[in-house]
Amino acid sequence: MRLPLLSPAFPGTVGSEWGKLWSVRSAGLCLLAALVVTGVFSYYYGAIARINGHPVQPVGNAAASSVVLVQFAFAVLAMVAVTSEYTTGSIRATLLWTPRRHRVQAAKALVAAGVAFSGGTVCAVLGTAVAWGAFDGRASFDAGTTARQVLAVGVYQALVAVLTVGVAFAARHPAGALAVLVSLLWAVPSTLLGLGAATVVDGLPYGAGGHFVSAGAGGAPYGPVTAVLIVAAWAAAAHLAGRYALHRADA
Amino acid sequence: MISLRGLTKRYGGTLAVDDLTFDVRAGLVTGFLGPNGAGKSTTLRMVLGLDHPTRGRALIGGRPYAELHRPLRAVGAMLDSRAVHPARSGRAHLVAQARAGGIPVRRVDEVLEAVGLGAAARRPAGTYSLGMSGRLGVAGALLGDPAVLVLDEPVNGLDPEGVRWIRRLVREEAARGRTVFLSSHLMSEMELTADRLVVIGRGRLLSDTSMADFLASASPPSARVAVPDPEERAALARGLAALGGVSVEAAADGSLAVGGRTAAEVGDLAHRCGARLHGLRDVRVSLEEAYMELTAHSVEYAAGTGGGHGEERA
Repeated sequence: MRLPLLSPAFPGTVGSEWGKLWSVRSAGLCLLAALVVTGVFSYYYGAIARINGHPVQPVGNAAASSVVLVQFAFAVLAMVAVTSEYTTGSIRATLLWTPRRHRVQAAKALVAAGVAFSGGTVCAVLGTAVAWGAFDGRASFDAGTTARQVLAVGVYQALVAVLTVGVAFAARHPAGALAVLVSLLWAVPSTLLGLGAATVVDGLPYGAGGHFVSAGAGGAPYGPVTAVLIVAAWAAAAHLAGRYALHRADA
Repeated sequence: MISLRGLTKRYGGTLAVDDLTFDVRAGLVTGFLGPNGAGKSTTLRMVLGLDHPTRGRALIGGRPYAELHRPLRAVGAMLDSRAVHPARSGRAHLVAQARAGGIPVRRVDEVLEAVGLGAAARRPAGTYSLGMSGRLGVAGALLGDPAVLVLDEPVNGLDPEGVRWIRRLVREEAARGRTVFLSSHLMSEMELTADRLVVIGRGRLLSDTSMADFLASASPPSARVAVPDPEERAALARGLAALGGVSVEAAADGSLAVGGRTAAEVGDLAHRCGARLHGLRDVRVSLEEAYMELTAHSVEYAAGTGGGHGEERA
């Protein structure tokens, strides 16, 4: 029997990871959770602004603010794609199929980022639509600003997914990975904000991501480009940490 | 061909694999034997690029596994057959493998049929029996139609029919010129399957020979001879003793167990003594006995020795 020669190159590994992601239920559940949390959060954001008579703000801020919570749906999706391989032992099969280990991590990061970007933008559109009704006139709509915010949410979620894949390869175990992610993306920055250390938080994905996705608030210490670069730098650092751990360790 | 050169793996203070050097040749089934904890799985993981050797190299066709251009087309491996995501169907698992390895997806259904998993292909792998998991593992190894097969304990959990199937499969693959490297702790299975044997104990190479040489070297030739007449029996025993280097023992049924001579040699002597024989046969040492003799001093977890110091990773 002769098999035709196809190159087992990077697109093959990406296709393999894509198929693995959707052949178990967790990814779909994470997306569903992201949609539900976005919808509920955005509704309350708009309703509270209306009830309390907040000044008029860009409608996209509702969905943008939900990111601090919704990011964990995409983080769990990306994390499970890595840690489930270690808990089930299937990482050995994966590395037999693609022994150039960084290619595995890059493929997982790309797939998770693609799903998080698409899912993030869909969530942002949904959240914006829900919030528009809930604001009931306390929000402004500008197509350009809203589009920028929707895309910013998608980009932020994609960067969180890349960061998560890196952390998960470094930690291997879901408990450890989740502890790092919750600390970095929420617990530490919100504690620091409570202590008044806002300048430190501006250097973390939490602060930079917030400045990146929100609009019209003013008071940001830097522009959206700097903000997204800060988040990207964190994602790159986590990616390199995961790459180092994956390269070094026995599978 | 698989070549190991000084392959060594150290975990902390324990040498799990200690300076292994041997070749696994094409066209033969090579059995990889050793007691539990001897380092078989660690060795195979290093051959397949999953574990990093502390020293030494393992090459497949002259290159490390991780540097093979199309690893799944070159090497089919089955390690822990349970290491599949339990919620993923067997077919989805193999489709992911095919995509990663640049293998046409239609090949997945061919191998699923070939291993007899066609009906269960779309069920979650977590619902498979041990035997079905083993068949899925073999399907994965065959997927790329590779020139080298590396199978870790492939008959584990298989029913007798499955065991015969694996035996026939690896013999056929070897007959087609493929390299087959097969680990097992089941001696009886190896005796029927393997052409060559590599035996390790406590990570060290104990033997690397053909099956026939292994059995022959393990203990001297011996024979069993039944002589009905007591006087003739005594005469034959004296004659044998006079040859030197021969042990003669009377067995419970009145026959003689002769160590150090073949049945042919005993028959010739009986003929010269004029002893009338009712039975004469060579006593072949079984692989199991030969193996026990060889590894007696290197059993990691022998009963009553207070346990070993190595660790077989799950």
